[in-house]
Amino acid sequence: MIGYLPGRSSLHRAHPYTPLAVAAGLLFLAFAFRSPAAVWAVVVAAAAFAAAGGVLGAVLRPAAMLALPTWILLTVLHGLLGGPPHLALGPLALSAPGVERALVFGGRIAAILFAFLTALATVAPPRLVEAMTARGVPFGRIYLLVSTLTVVPRMRARVRQIIDAQQCRGLRIGGSPLARVRALGPLVVPLVLSALAEVDEQALALDVRGGSAAGRRTALAPPADHAGDRLVRWTVLVGVVAAYAWKFAGAGR
Amino acid sequence: MTLRDLVVIRLGVAVNLVIGQVAAALLLPVFLDTIGTVLVAALVGPRAAIVAGLTSQVLNAVLSGNFTWLPFGLVQIVIALYAALAARLGAFRRLSTAIPAGLLLGLVAASASAPISYFLFGGVTAGGVTAVTTVIRALGAPLPVAVAAASYSTDLLDKSLVFALVAVVLRSLPHQMAVRFPMLAR
Repeated sequence: MIGYLPGRSSLHRAHPYTPLAVAAGLLFLAFAFRSPAAVWAVVVAAAAFAAAGGVLGAVLRPAAMLALPTWILLTVLHGLLGGPPHLALGPLALSAPGVERALVFGGRIAAILFAFLTALATVAPPRLVEAMTARGVPFGRIYLLVSTLTVVPRMRARVRQIIDAQQCRGLRIGGSPLARVRALGPLVVPLVLSALAEVDEQALALDVRGGSAAGRRTALAPPADHAGDRLVRWTVLVGVVAAYAWKFAGAGR
Repeated sequence: MTLRDLVVIRLGVAVNLVIGQVAAALLLPVFLDTIGTVLVAALVGPRAAIVAGLTSQVLNAVLSGNFTWLPFGLVQIVIALYAALAARLGAFRRLSTAIPAGLLLGLVAASASAPISYFLFGGVTAGGVTAVTTVIRALGAPLPVAVAAASYSTDLLDKSLVFALVAVVLRSLPHQMAVRFPMLAR
């Protein structure tokens, strides 16, 4: 959908934790408010975040592609099928409270998509790995997040091979729903068994590379964590806590 | 957690992420995106299964760009704990016990996912489930009932299939491979 987009914006140069903290802060803020105006203010903030990273144009398309079907379903489920009072909009009668709810939920989805797609586009994975290593994040967590991304394309290719091979042996993957459910076994079992057969070999390869070594690892080129980065992250934390304090005090409308 | 556990968790995450492709190729109305979590729970244990489930949820969001799935990580934790308990009780030894255990997991998982879907996203999440929600709502059911009914109907089918498939995989494990997973012997 979207990956890292090289650039020289302040977000690209920031410590990798900073854009991730801002994205997480925007997610929490989107759920802290219950009025359409407040939620859409968070959407504007998320769009500004994307603009600060110089990726607004690149993020807009995937965000719209992911959000549009949801907005349409929200309009149907809450606007058309919502309760009274209704607003006349041409030939349509839309539920007024339903439209308000659809705006809130649709805004939350837009804010989350803008925020995290921006983080995805501006945080370089190798810099994130370096930052995590420098912070003493255990090897296992880094390995799971980064290494699995490299395994998925290989496993997808294996799925295609298994489908082709089983079809050559006469497996039909069409027909009635029951016939298609029956076809699952011959596809899933060889995929999982072949992957399990490689477990010991991969564990040994990791061990040889020092995967089981105790102690803190040294990052080769850890990203600088400037005072400005820390200030942004603390501001996000304080902002989120203040928003939820406001919400639970009963003023979050 | 040993290096071997880590490799099995990575396998579970990859299975979660990829098996949906098989379900889509077969045009099945299920996700099958928790097979890896259940498999890891049966082979390694609950802690590893929770790690596999949460990592799958994060990577699924990263790979698809749809970060609105992140809050459903809670459902992966529920599934991991339930599957580990089911494995300890021997639910995967026979299909006749795996399928009912999967149906029960469907009830448990839907009870966890329906409130997230309703309260955080107004009942609009994955396309297939939302289509069912919309049909039930159009038939006159209140929105919370429509969201719950859609979640239960899809999760019952999905989780019983997941448990059945994991039972078939575990029964197909060659003996030399099975003895390397002490959880299986319990």
